[in-house]
Amino acid sequence: MRGTLVIYRRELAGLFLTPLGWLLLALALFANGLFLYLVLPYTGGDVGSSLRGALGGGTLFWALMVFLPPLLAMRMMAEESRSGTLEYLLTAPVSDSAVVVGKFLAATTFLALIWSVVPLYGLLFQLQGSPPDWGAVFATWLGAVLTSGLFVSLGLLAATSTNTPLLAAFLAFAACLGWILVPSFGGQLLNSLDAFVGTGDLGGLLVQTLRSSLQAMDVLRHFHFSWRMGVIDTAEVVFFCTWPCLFLFATVRMLEGRRWRV
Amino acid sequence: MIEVSELTRRYGRHTAVDQVSFHLDAGEVVGLLGPNGAGKTTIMRILAGFLPATSAARLEVCGHDVLRDSLKVRESIGYLPESVPLYRDMRVQEMLDFHGRLHRMGRSDRQRRSAEVLDRVGVSDRSRQLVGTLSRGLRQRVGLAVALLPEPPVLILDEPTSGLDPLQRREVRSLVRELSDEHTVLVSSHILAEVESMCSRVLVMAEGHLIADGTREQLEQQLGGSAGVRLEAYVGLDPEAAVELLKSLPGVTAVALGERLGIHHGFVIEGEGDLREDVGALAAQEGWALRELSSQKRSLEDVFAQLVSGNVADISAAKADAPATPVEPIDNGGLMQLMPDSGFNASAKAPPAKKMIYSLNPFDQGTSRELGAPMEIEDPTGNVKGDEPGDPS
Repeated sequence: MRGTLVIYRRELAGLFLTPLGWLLLALALFANGLFLYLVLPYTGGDVGSSLRGALGGGTLFWALMVFLPPLLAMRMMAEESRSGTLEYLLTAPVSDSAVVVGKFLAATTFLALIWSVVPLYGLLFQLQGSPPDWGAVFATWLGAVLTSGLFVSLGLLAATSTNTPLLAAFLAFAACLGWILVPSFGGQLLNSLDAFVGTGDLGGLLVQTLRSSLQAMDVLRHFHFSWRMGVIDTAEVVFFCTWPCLFLFATVRMLEGRRWRV
Repeated sequence: MIEVSELTRRYGRHTAVDQVSFHLDAGEVVGLLGPNGAGKTTIMRILAGFLPATSAARLEVCGHDVLRDSLKVRESIGYLPESVPLYRDMRVQEMLDFHGRLHRMGRSDRQRRSAEVLDRVGVSDRSRQLVGTLSRGLRQRVGLAVALLPEPPVLILDEPTSGLDPLQRREVRSLVRELSDEHTVLVSSHILAEVESMCSRVLVMAEGHLIADGTREQLEQQLGGSAGVRLEAYVGLDPEAAVELLKSLPGVTAVALGERLGIHHGFVIEGEGDLREDVGALAAQEGWALRELSSQKRSLEDVFAQLVSGNVADISAAKADAPATPVEPIDNGGLMQLMPDSGFNASAKAPPAKKMIYSLNPFDQGTSRELGAPMEIEDPTGNVKGDEPGDPS
């Protein structure tokens, strides 16, 4: 536990020691501000739903979501193994899981900081005399943070599988993008199959099962039907916590497996 | 402090470390010597817990099993990999601080030890500098400081002098020598002179096998002890005949015909013991005009080169033929340790040949028997049945 904390502190500090961290923060500040500005007219000036819309409402948010975690994961894993410091870390008296969890928490904290830009704008609205519904904004922010955790863990898993930083970033990016796109495109594909299969026969049953499992995996759907509404649903909390746990477990295993491959 | 028994590590089909066994006592400074690719780094990585062993009968550091008790082992080891991996974006002091935290050192402890180790490796004035901007030599020292910080009982240093200039090499060497007071040190190198100057004991590796283990003197005695004789003489018109004659001398294993110097020929005669008297007697008998007759002792450097180039048959033959050697050839606690398939035992497979030889044993100094009297050998592996009085067997 203590090892996790030490690694967490170092990783978080490391992000701010390089220009990358500040660059990403500036980028997020700009992107979130732009998006809030674009969204505001569509909500009829409703500050609360505009803020919630800026967090998860559109393509820009999800683009950042599939773009940032892979970058962070690349920095934390592939860079480390390329520069040889992984050998240092894996011979230090910390367990592999402490290393992985520490890095995961640091990356997620950094993203949480990035999403905090939106509540910051909320504060500005408050100062201007139109206070948003803080509970709902907080729920959406929490959802964004948990979703970031999911993508960071997926990115770490992908980045651990290779030594090449660029390949790691690409793999992590593909994994995150796939996690978003496959359920929605798969759902559409299954919808088009409906014309060919009956509702009662085996084919129909198969399509139905596939559709419901894809829906169960659909992050966008999970996000929009709970967090974005400003609802903290325990089922969603479980969903957004169990997947990272699984990916982190796989990452630890893969890190152990790497010892055999170096 | 370090116990390694039958350690094997494979990378796919390639066997990097093959059935290696050794142990280090507390306070020893032991050099792991071998050419590149001999398996030194692999052994160190396994001990440091970075790589798992493919198989090992026993693998312990400070009484903790490396495989099962990895964290305990990592706590008691200061490990400096060859590449000196440090975080380039940290300052020297921050790097030490981070390492101290990983080792659960308190704040005051960290500050005290940081100042101590920086002073010890001589980079106190660089504590505010970014690691990434340090030169190779300074980085090496900072790496050493990081390894020393938690006062680990065992230090594992992988080629700590590689990439340094001669002056820095000397400094690191003297530092490692100093460390022996407080730590058990395993240090690797592919340079013999360096290991000699740092270590009290040397482990020689080649192609994954441990082929020798002992102090410098022991290695020299064991491996370099077989002396050669250089002969320069006028031997008539047929030097080949002279070679045959020399070969027929008891105890001679090889005769090389050297360059011709005017009417004289040079010969290098290899064999056990001091052959000068026998060769001299032969020269007198044949009426050769002698110009030089000198003993040539093989340097440890030669022995090392011969060992690691895989050309170990000569040494093994010399060893096998030498009777009543005070050292047991295959025994963990022995001075020499020979691996089963390193080629050392090749001569053991040869059929035993009886031969009459003279002064065989370079170690007995003529105390056990009369040197002039011939002695009969039955088994080249070392079981000697002497036929003269005074022989213990």
